[in-house]
Amino acid sequence: MSERLGPDVAATIASAALAVAAESKIPPESAVSISQKRKPPPPDTPENTHTRSLVILSFWVVVITVGLPLWWITTAIYRAPLPLKEMQSWADGRACRAEFPLLIDVEAPTLPDPENLLKTVQHALDDANDFSAHHLRLRLSTNSSRVDDGEESVAATLRLSQGTAGSPHSYVLSPSSRAIDLFYSPSYNPTSFSAFVASTLQEIFAEEQQMISYLLASSAPAPSPSPSSGGGNGGNGVKVVSKVNTAEIARKMSRIVKYSPMYHLTFSLFTAAGAPSNWEIEEAVSEYLQPLLDALGGISGFTVDSQIQFYASLSSSVVPTWVPDSEGEGAGGRYTLKKEDLSSFINSAEWPLVSITSYPTINFIIYIPAADQSPLIIPTSSTNAFLLPQWGGVMIHNPLAESDNTHLTKEALKPALDIFATQLLALLGAPTHPASLPIRLDSLTRQRSAELLVSASSTLGSLYRLTLALPSISIPSSVSTSVSSTLSSLTAACQELRRGRFGGALEEGRNAEQQAEKAFFEKSMVGQVYFPEEHKVAVYLPLMGPVGAPLLMAALKEILRLVRVRKASKLGG
Amino acid sequence: MRLLSWPSITQLLLAPLVVGARASEYNDYSENLLLKSLPGNSILASFRFVSNGTFDSHHSVFPRSLAQILQQSQTKELHLKFTLGRWDAEQWGRQVWDGRTAGGTGVELWAWVEAADDSEADARWTTLNNALSGLFCASLNFIDSTRTIRPVMSFQPAGHHSPESLERLHLLHGTLPREPVCTENLTPFLKLLPCKGKAGISSLLDGHRLFDAQWQSMSIDVKPVCEESGKCQLQMEQTKPYAGGDSCFPLSGVTDLPWSLSEMFGRPIRGSCPLAVVPTEEATHVCVNIAEQRSIFVSQGSEERKKSPELRCFILHENLDFDIVLPELSPSTNILLTPPPVYASRSLTGHGQERGGIQAVLNNPSSNSTVEFVYLESLPWFMKPYLHTLSVTISVKANRNIVQDIYYRPALDRKRGTQLEVRLRVPPGETVLLNYEFEKAVLRYTEYPPDANRGFDIAPAIISILDPTSQKSTFSIRTTSLLLSLPTPDFSMPYNVIILTSTVMALAFGSIFNILVRRFVGADEVIGGSLISKIRGHIMAFAAKRRRVGGSKPKTE
Repeated sequence: MSERLGPDVAATIASAALAVAAESKIPPESAVSISQKRKPPPPDTPENTHTRSLVILSFWVVVITVGLPLWWITTAIYRAPLPLKEMQSWADGRACRAEFPLLIDVEAPTLPDPENLLKTVQHALDDANDFSAHHLRLRLSTNSSRVDDGEESVAATLRLSQGTAGSPHSYVLSPSSRAIDLFYSPSYNPTSFSAFVASTLQEIFAEEQQMISYLLASSAPAPSPSPSSGGGNGGNGVKVVSKVNTAEIARKMSRIVKYSPMYHLTFSLFTAAGAPSNWEIEEAVSEYLQPLLDALGGISGFTVDSQIQFYASLSSSVVPTWVPDSEGEGAGGRYTLKKEDLSSFINSAEWPLVSITSYPTINFIIYIPAADQSPLIIPTSSTNAFLLPQWGGVMIHNPLAESDNTHLTKEALKPALDIFATQLLALLGAPTHPASLPIRLDSLTRQRSAELLVSASSTLGSLYRLTLALPSISIPSSVSTSVSSTLSSLTAACQELRRGRFGGALEEGRNAEQQAEKAFFEKSMVGQVYFPEEHKVAVYLPLMGPVGAPLLMAALKEILRLVRVRKASKLGG
Repeated sequence: MRLLSWPSITQLLLAPLVVGARASEYNDYSENLLLKSLPGNSILASFRFVSNGTFDSHHSVFPRSLAQILQQSQTKELHLKFTLGRWDAEQWGRQVWDGRTAGGTGVELWAWVEAADDSEADARWTTLNNALSGLFCASLNFIDSTRTIRPVMSFQPAGHHSPESLERLHLLHGTLPREPVCTENLTPFLKLLPCKGKAGISSLLDGHRLFDAQWQSMSIDVKPVCEESGKCQLQMEQTKPYAGGDSCFPLSGVTDLPWSLSEMFGRPIRGSCPLAVVPTEEATHVCVNIAEQRSIFVSQGSEERKKSPELRCFILHENLDFDIVLPELSPSTNILLTPPPVYASRSLTGHGQERGGIQAVLNNPSSNSTVEFVYLESLPWFMKPYLHTLSVTISVKANRNIVQDIYYRPALDRKRGTQLEVRLRVPPGETVLLNYEFEKAVLRYTEYPPDANRGFDIAPAIISILDPTSQKSTFSIRTTSLLLSLPTPDFSMPYNVIILTSTVMALAFGSIFNILVRRFVGADEVIGGSLISKIRGHIMAFAAKRRRVGGSKPKTE
């Protein structure tokens, strides 16, 4: 029976049996005889007691002064000090109030009283401005100030001149410069003209303003990004903007590719059969797209490559529907793609679209359908193309001419590349509105700076929360360096923005973002030491238990003895 | 029926060609299939695909994915082999394409990387391995410094490199003998082809049937090819030798069993690939190398070109399926097989957990010519050869100049493996035994793989036959891989060690501490008695109480 039971139970039974035996069999005399034999131990000398106390004390001193610190140091996780407060204030958007002062030069050689006009316009602008972080500043351009002093970039130049007789006020934007030509009607009326100037400027910069206010608002949840600004104007401003078309802006923002100093553009020709076997993409890109890429060079760089993939099939879930022509009874008709088909149009399992570059890739695809699925039409798109947010653009090309079947010429590719250029700008986040490309690119610079500022700050915030949430994560000193570099770059970017030097702000923002990402994705931080509690017990207990128990018992005994001695002395006293 | 199919060579060419005349565009890609009957009712199917591409970033038939990898890692020439099974040279003779397209068991990769110094070359090699690993769904990223060697004598660049660039090229070689080659490697291979297995001879490459083969190999070779005018191309060659048998009983030698393409591969060829070179008198799509007596039936729509009595070639129609049917023929016919320059086999010798030995048997079958070759071993660091035990024995005693040259780079623990290159000369008809002994290292606890008792795979030895005049490799042969068992510990060891040492320390501490703090008195001087007598007293008191309680209970009832 004792085999089946645990050893403890067996021992209890045995000892119980012993106890019974002892009670019944051992005669009482024997117990008496032992106690009779027993004599008191020789009295302990005070020196011995003292030495014993010293021994116990010294053991404890060694354990506490050497053992515990050693254990602590060898098992501690290194956590570099981080400027947590600063990080948090950046993440909350309290550290920097981003401002976008736009300088506008006004050239008015023919106007009678330009200063006065400027004042009126400036007033009108300030009154109408509902988002004070982004504001326009007018400056009368003189010959001396026209020389670029390198301090501040000019957002636009207004050239006021007299229009033709009888015409109302009007303005013309040149697509390739920052100049805005304003023509006032010969019957010059300062009040109406100043209102016209103000409304024109507002119209031109409205989209950018909305985008930036949306960006900054999304970064700081609780207070509006400009809590202390312009007498409560700012708080209202955000609301007004959100009332206008938040949904529209959100849609635009959602398709923007995350900022990177370099992008890789891949142009792919996917054909459902073995033809066409070549295309003049190299020439087409250098002729139609390269100018745009060069213009964008200040914001991001681009690398380009291209490929042709033959026998590229659509994924099985995409089934074009046959729509016969309404008129003819013949075979005329078209295949159409539904809107749901477009989201799964890219057959990522089959199509080799992955690039191994370290920076993001934007894909542009020309798809040529098979002969038995031609023409393939997207009914909702007039250009037969669609944009995939944050990914790229697709255009379906139905070859018209017979020659297209084997060879795609540069001219045949022009419409596709024009669409891709528009899609690229949309993917990068350039505003669609003003016709002038330089102004749009300037807007893009400001937007990207704001975006970098926001994203670097939020990365810092995430790092801040991470370090607090995981006390067992180690923080190497490189993280602390990166964080301080991020903070200094952020501060610099913020200052550059206030001074209106947006190029510099972009540069600093880029650096801040890079450093913040580096800090957050630090390799040695990602891999956490997995050392569960039960392992700790398994490792420590075999040593700590047998060593700790005698130490504790000795200390306890000694304390009891001291208490007894004190009581005795008290009684004695 | 016993079939040996060898879907062999996929050859792609990447050329830095100016995209010029249309005619040259068409020359960018070609493909052909060679079917060869082997003794034992086996068939060798050898696929060959050649693609040309440019060095710039605009690609058409040359795969962009691969070109980008080469560009990123500054690789000028690349050779990647996936092999499964064993080529039975005794029965099947020499390999096609001079053995250049077959690798050792598992994965083998070597490349010429352009770099200023060794550390830069290593960094680019790592980039290359990681990128290829992703592209081919293989564990190539496990080729680290311990599996990488820099062969000195065995390999020469196959492409054209200028003398200036040759100085900056670093040859790196890595093997993964344990990697199983499977469908997941074939799919990316097919994606590199312009026709993607949907048309042309690549439509036969179907993972379901292909991997039944007795032996198969898949290789990708990329090299620059330059014209005299100075224009350069980059050429990529892929091979996949494959040997399969589905015979349940040994019928071989009696009759030639019937076979057809659709029976062997599960489908016929789906027309020709329109992107391939327009076939001419020389270039054909499918060639069959069988004995002259055997009759052959092919699908309609194909043209036949007889190149020799034993080599019949066919040109495919673009949109018509193509199949070949061979009826049964008795008695069995055989085409003449040429033996390989060297028969090689390698095995482990010795016993025990501490030491072992390796014996390589190298036989020159030729009756009149001496063969010279380099024997290359790439051993893991935990297998430490004793170079002094290296011995080469031959039956003819007079000939002492067997070993021409030895290059040896010893291993560094956990850093790099051993590299041993031996240049040998074997007289005609002789057999050379190459022996050496090694010591097995004990690994760290975490260095053992999950199935440590299975053993560790040792990469195949590579034998490169040298041309007697130019001293360049003309033919290569691989031995099989070996399975080395290392002393394997009990993996609960760390906790046992912790507990044991803790116990010893606790014992030592406890006794010393007790001696220091206890007061020793005579046995009859103990106050209060021992612990046992105290416990006994308590128990007796408790039992007495119980009895009293138990006794009173019935009374109350």
